[in-house]
Amino acid sequence: MMMAQFTVNLNVNGDDCSVSVEPQTTLLGVLRDQLGYNGVKAGCEEGDCGACAVLIDGKPVTSCLVLTASAEDKKITTIEGLADGWQLHPIQQAFVDNHGMQCGYCTPGAIIAAKGLLDENPKPSEGEVRQALSGNLCRCGSYGKMVKSVLAAAG
Amino acid sequence: MISQEFDFEAPSALPEALALLARHGDDATLLSGGMSLMPMTTLGLVQPGMIISLNHIAELDYVREDGNELRIGALTRHADVAADPLIGAHAALLAEAASLIGDVQVRNRGTIGGSIAHADPAANYLPAMLALGARLRLQSEAGERSVEAKDFVKGIMTTAIETGEMLTEIAIPKLAAGTGCSYQRLVRVEGNFAIVIAAAITEPGRKAARVGLGNVAPGPVLVDVSGHLGNGLDDAALAAIGDAAFDAAAEAASDLAGDANYRREMARVFARRAVQSATDAADAG
Ligand SMILES: Cc1cc2nc3c(=O)[nH]c(=O)nc-3n(C[C@H](O)[C@H](O)[C@H](O)COP(=O)(O)OP(=O)(O)OC[C@H]3O[C@@H](n4cnc5c(N)ncnc54)[C@H](O)[C@@H]3O)c2cc1C
Repeated sequence: MMMAQFTVNLNVNGDDCSVSVEPQTTLLGVLRDQLGYNGVKAGCEEGDCGACAVLIDGKPVTSCLVLTASAEDKKITTIEGLADGWQLHPIQQAFVDNHGMQCGYCTPGAIIAAKGLLDENPKPSEGEVRQALSGNLCRCGSYGKMVKSVLAAAG
Repeated sequence: MISQEFDFEAPSALPEALALLARHGDDATLLSGGMSLMPMTTLGLVQPGMIISLNHIAELDYVREDGNELRIGALTRHADVAADPLIGAHAALLAEAASLIGDVQVRNRGTIGGSIAHADPAANYLPAMLALGARLRLQSEAGERSVEAKDFVKGIMTTAIETGEMLTEIAIPKLAAGTGCSYQRLVRVEGNFAIVIAAAITEPGRKAARVGLGNVAPGPVLVDVSGHLGNGLDDAALAAIGDAAFDAAAEAASDLAGDANYRREMARVFARRAVQSATDAADAG
C-alpha cells in the first residue's frame, strides 16, 4: 500500500524548505536522509539516548520521536546551524578546548541540549547543567568533561 | 525508522479533530507529544491505521483559572506544566510531578493529556491527580462528560476513554494557601520511570491528608490518612500510615526493578516520607 505523501514546510538552520514525506517519516529521517544534516545522529530511536536532539522552536527535542508531518512550520536548529562559517559556536569551542568528548557520537545532541539550557539560563549551576544533559547518553562516559565544557561556555 | 505505514491527519481545530475521531473510530490513534506513542509504533507494539496529530490545535494548550479551579488543556507540554506560575501557586504538587518526568527533551514535547490518557502505571501525573482530586474532561463529536481522576484508570494502560472520545482538559481544585505537598519517587537513576511514587497533600491545620500511590497496582491508588494526624505525626501515626499504604499496594506487580513485596514495602516507606514532609510543610504554613 502506498501512503499519501505530505508536503511539509520547515525552517532548518534559517533556511525555509519544503519536503515531501510519508506519514511515518520522522524528523530525524528527513533531516539526515533528505536534507543531509548528518550531524543529527540516529541512536536508540526510542527517545532514550538524545543523540538525535535538535532544537524545535528553540527547545531541545528528540527528533526520532517527532513525525515530520506533525512539524509543519516549525523552526528547527541542528548542530550544523550553530557555527558561523568556520567560526565555531562558543559551546562547540568549549567542547573542543575541554575535551568534552571521546568518540563524538553523542556530542551533537549534547551540544544542542546545552544550547537549549544556556539560551534559557546563561549562568547555570553545575547541578542545572547535569540536569539539562541527563537526556544525553554518552557510552564513552565523558560526562565529567561534558559538564565542564558547558560550564566553560557559560563563562 | 518507523517501518509501519498509516494515514495521517493534522487538524488545526478541536471540532475537526473530533469529527475525524468519530469518522475513523477504532482505526484512529491520537498523537500528542508522541513520547510514548512513537516508541510503541517503532517497536510494533501498536499498529495505528490513522494517526490524528493534535499538535496544531492551539486551543488545547492553556492553563487558566476558573473560580476555585485550574483548567489545563490536554496539549500543555510537561515543561510548561512544571514552569506555569498558576500551577506553581495553586497546585505545586503537579508542577513537581511534571518537573521529574524523564529528561528535558521529553518534557519539551510530551503533554499532560497524552501522559494521563496513556495511563502507564509508573507515570508521574496520575498519583498527583488523585491526591489533588482532579476531574478529566472527555469530549466526542456527540458531547462531553467529566470523569473523576480516581475513576479514570480501569486496568493497566486501560482508561475510561471510549472510542471516539478525547481527553481535552484537566480540572484541578485550587489548593488552599498553606497546604503542604510532597512528591516522592523511588528511582534507580534520575530520569527513569519510578519504581514507586507517593504524592501527598496535607491540608492547613491538618484538617485532612491523603497520598496518591503510583506503580503499586494496575492504576494509581488513593489512601486517605486524615485519621492518623490527630496527635501529631508520632511513630504510631507514621507506622499506621505505612501500614495503610502497604495494604493499598496489595495488587503490586513484580518486574526487573523490584518484586511485588519490595514494591509494597517501598510504598510503606515512601508514603510515610511523603505524608511526613507534606505535614511538616503544612505546619510551617
Ligand atoms: C526517555 C523517556 C523517559 C520518560 N520518562 C517518564 C517518566 O519518568 N515519568 C512519566 O510519567 N513519563 C515518562 N515518559 C513518558 C512521557 O511522559 C510521555 O510524554 C507520556 O507518556 C505521553 O504523552 P505524549 O503527549 O507524549 O503522548 P503520545 O505519546 O502522543 O500518546 C500516548 C497515548 O495517549 C493517547 N493520547 C494522546 N493524547 C490524547 C488525548 N488528548 N486524548 C486521548 N488519548 C490521547 C495516544 O493515542 C497514545 O495512545 C518518558 C518518555 C520517554 C521517551
